[in-house]
Amino acid sequence: MNIPMAVECKAINKRHSHFQLQDVDLSIEQGTVMGLVGPNGAGKSTILRIIMGLQKPDSGSLKVLGHSMPDDQIAAKRRIGFVAEDMRLYESETIGFHMDFIKSIFDTWDQDYAATLLRRFDLIKDQKIKGLSHGQRVKATLMLALARRPQLLVFDEPTTGLDPAVRKEVLDEMMNSLQDETRSILFSSHNTLDIEQISDYITFIYDGRIIESKDKESFLDSWRRLRLVNIDNKPLPDLPNIKQIQQSGRLCAVTVNDYDDSTADQFTKAGLTVENIEHLTLEEIFICNVQYAKELKNSRINS
Amino acid sequence: MTHSIIPQLVKKDFLIWRKMIAVFCLMSLLAIAGLSLVYGHIPHFVFMNVGFTILIIPVAACGVALLIQTNVFEKEKSTQVFIMSLPITVREFTLAKLLVNLPIFGALWVGTAGVAFYFTFGLGLLPIGAVPFITMIFVGIFAGYSCILCVSLISQSLGKTIFAIMFFEAATSASLWIIAYLDPIRNYIYGPSIVWNSTALTIVGFQVLIIVSVIAATILIQNKKRDFI
Repeated sequence: MNIPMAVECKAINKRHSHFQLQDVDLSIEQGTVMGLVGPNGAGKSTILRIIMGLQKPDSGSLKVLGHSMPDDQIAAKRRIGFVAEDMRLYESETIGFHMDFIKSIFDTWDQDYAATLLRRFDLIKDQKIKGLSHGQRVKATLMLALARRPQLLVFDEPTTGLDPAVRKEVLDEMMNSLQDETRSILFSSHNTLDIEQISDYITFIYDGRIIESKDKESFLDSWRRLRLVNIDNKPLPDLPNIKQIQQSGRLCAVTVNDYDDSTADQFTKAGLTVENIEHLTLEEIFICNVQYAKELKNSRINS
Repeated sequence: MTHSIIPQLVKKDFLIWRKMIAVFCLMSLLAIAGLSLVYGHIPHFVFMNVGFTILIIPVAACGVALLIQTNVFEKEKSTQVFIMSLPITVREFTLAKLLVNLPIFGALWVGTAGVAFYFTFGLGLLPIGAVPFITMIFVGIFAGYSCILCVSLISQSLGKTIFAIMFFEAATSASLWIIAYLDPIRNYIYGPSIVWNSTALTIVGFQVLIIVSVIAATILIQNKKRDFI
């Protein structure tokens, strides 16, 4: 069966003066949540802005909800709700003004749902934007994006700077919006907890390249930390999937990607004792991935 | 479902800045009222010079304030990300901004030009032969404004817009002084009849060409931008 795609990026390249997106391939099935995770400056926002048609890629092809971007961006953006951390509303105007404005543009605007969201988010329609806190502004922007009932929600760092309570409210509402099974979410964050909590798929990006893109279970399951005892100080097997080695006397912690049962055997065969095999949290994977990618980049520069 | 949202964008900017526009309109009306009150109490030459300055200040201030608010601050205050997330392209964004700024400035400009023509010729401050030159002054002002508007739209930078205001204001004044000293213009300013000779028509035609070409160039340049945020 052909699964309808919300986003299909193929070999996207984009060069800025100090940064370059390189051969980005990214596919998001309809009805799923894709979390884009990476450190600051990795290229998350650039990818999202290219997907929104706000930046033109130098090469590659992009389809969003079946529409070619950026050429067919008007039709695509009628079905997309976009919320970015640096997005601001008009300070001198009220939330109600913005609701009327969005309502006048989108035939799909759901007034009842907007009213429900206002109540849920403790927002007052007549309140001016300049009087809102950062959390309230994010919630107002989210409400404006959700109440137009988009098929694809694109969020660029939506939870940055929010306190835990507001963050939960925002994430909960993002999840609620997925009750319509054809709706998809693509969101970027360096908050791994958010990504882990709501994503079906995780894409890790570093220095303009996609390092890994998998479903969450496979992603989390493919990483392990092996606690080893190395009494005779034997050399570790030269496995390509070793991402990090931490040595402390006879004890050694090895973090590996693409883990399977044979991985532990390789260490045993090399004369090491495998004491424990641990799963990693997404945060640990994130840190490990960044450090490994950094080392790889530095060694490439040095050579 | 692919209808343009330009009318909504124009309405949105008009609603946001309606109070500011109303203040400048009020200032224009007060200027006209003030000039009507002092007419006949001060020498004609002083009335004409001071009157022209007083009339043009609210128009220029409104035009500049509006283009800075709608074009420059849209980007600086990050509301542009919100607007560009809506179903529009850069071309439509640009058209919407032109359709907010040009008609509002244009309406004030037409009103002020009408009042200036009435004071100048209706009250006999200058002979009717000055009509082509006064026309050149007003079309020249509109051409200068169009250039500033287009710089503000393309650059969306406060510094570049302020530089453009200074540059085009100076250029407009300088060009009008030069025009005033051209024999085919100067010889008829104090004449008893309106003379639209080839020099006068060429100058006005060139001013109109500047207005049309900078607007067309702005749409073209904006359309070619690869990155807009």
